[in-house]
Amino acid sequence: MEPGGSSGVGSVNSGTYTPEIAESLRFEEEIQSLIDPSFDASSAAGGSFTALLGLPANQAVELLHHPGPGEPPASAASSSPIAGDLWRLRLVEQHAVTDTLRLPFGCSSTFPSDAALVERAARFSVFATDDSPASSSGGGLSPELKAEPPDSHSPPTLPVPAEKPRRPSKRKECEKSKAKAVAKKSKSAEENTSAAKPAAEENTSGDKLPYVHVRARRGQATDSHSLAERARREKINARMKLLQELVPGCSKITGTALVLDEIINHVQSLQRQVEFLSMKLAAVNPRIDFSGLDHILSAECGPLAMGSGCGGGASDPATWASETAASTGGIRRMPPPQQIWHLDLVHPQQSSTVWENNGAAHPHFLLSPATSLVGYDPASSVPLNSNQLKTEL
Amino acid sequence: MEPKSCSGDGNPSRNLHPSKPLMAANFLRCLSRIQQTATNSSVGSRSRRIRRAAYASMAYSAGHRRAWSWALLRKLRCRRVRPVILPRRPRIARPQVVIEIDRAEVLRKLVPGGTGMDYCRLLEETADYIRCLATQVRLMQTVTDSISS
Repeated sequence: MEPGGSSGVGSVNSGTYTPEIAESLRFEEEIQSLIDPSFDASSAAGGSFTALLGLPANQAVELLHHPGPGEPPASAASSSPIAGDLWRLRLVEQHAVTDTLRLPFGCSSTFPSDAALVERAARFSVFATDDSPASSSGGGLSPELKAEPPDSHSPPTLPVPAEKPRRPSKRKECEKSKAKAVAKKSKSAEENTSAAKPAAEENTSGDKLPYVHVRARRGQATDSHSLAERARREKINARMKLLQELVPGCSKITGTALVLDEIINHVQSLQRQVEFLSMKLAAVNPRIDFSGLDHILSAECGPLAMGSGCGGGASDPATWASETAASTGGIRRMPPPQQIWHLDLVHPQQSSTVWENNGAAHPHFLLSPATSLVGYDPASSVPLNSNQLKTEL
Repeated sequence: MEPKSCSGDGNPSRNLHPSKPLMAANFLRCLSRIQQTATNSSVGSRSRRIRRAAYASMAYSAGHRRAWSWALLRKLRCRRVRPVILPRRPRIARPQVVIEIDRAEVLRKLVPGGTGMDYCRLLEETADYIRCLATQVRLMQTVTDSISS
């Protein structure tokens, strides 16, 4: 076997033998001896390439891509052409080798009875006869190699990512209606392998599964209910943080209740500003032609695609405008929470102090909104409380 | 203003909102329409219409993806025939039984469509609503500034 193997290797190695291949072959022999304890290392001393043959296909490829500890990292880059070369050499050797070739899966020497090998040999046989340059064959082989091992690759390689310290991958798109917290708690790698495998399958099968994958931290309860609650709490905290950033002056406040108060105040103040500005616009409305403002605003807002917006928005605003025009006494759809706001009639002198910073042109119509406010139906009135009006305008 | 971009992940922080030009176009169109059609001189009714137009343009630019905009559009769309807000009974001054204010309830009343949501969703919608409101306010401020100048 040895002479046959070495001669088989040597006969083809003339054109394609490289130092990397030699080194990888050397390592493969050691690895093979590790994997197969009954493997007779001495028998494969000269033909360590047969050691590579002794392994199943996927493990061989894996070994080639993850070489031994002493392997120089440069060989990893050349591992794929090496794989191609080695596969080609293997096929050549398959033909050259006699019954002394020992294959652990019990194939006959001349023709492998293993179905996978047969199919692979059939696939690669075209390259066996052809002595094309290594790169093309390697390039042609390696994608096929890579296509095949992944499906058989996944079980052995699942322990590898599972052991890495990975953050819990929370499925944020798990909607409330279907959200179920599946607790993937584990403290050991062995549990990870068993638990991560179905988890990985579910993960890879699609991102539509509504499972929340959370890892329990050390010293915390690990039953599914508390994990679900914790995930939910973290979600809520994240959103509260967002809100705090959104509302000015909220970052310094500690405590959920005060933050919520601030948020409520902010929303109310924004709504009041909308009221106030709409009143301003109503007052100046008859004098100004709004269609001319389009170009002004487009210039201010930047050269964004207004054509698409105008084209798409043609239908709906027309309906809104028609509705707003048709509604005579437009009843408020959002009655203010009465227990929070109290209706204050706008006093002209107070309003002037608030509004005078807007310009000298405004005081002349300050009285009219005030008087019109007085005449409002309290149910549909505008709670424009100048005392509470923040001067953010 | 940040361009509108929707993200695949559910992280709400990435949802940069809203598109100001779209809102501006809608709002201005509504304004001009109101100006043309509403010749009645009541400032109050006109301001009410403008306010509705503001909310409508805001909700429209937000689209149907957000719950609050959807609820707002529904509210604005189906105009009730009868005057909906009956004059409420004068509130009798009762001793405040409830000591703790339920802020979530208050927020639910403020944010359109907030009544049917759980707390987590409510916070998300509030954030979006605040963003949109701020944009709308800035837009209206710009309009009034350009008018008055």
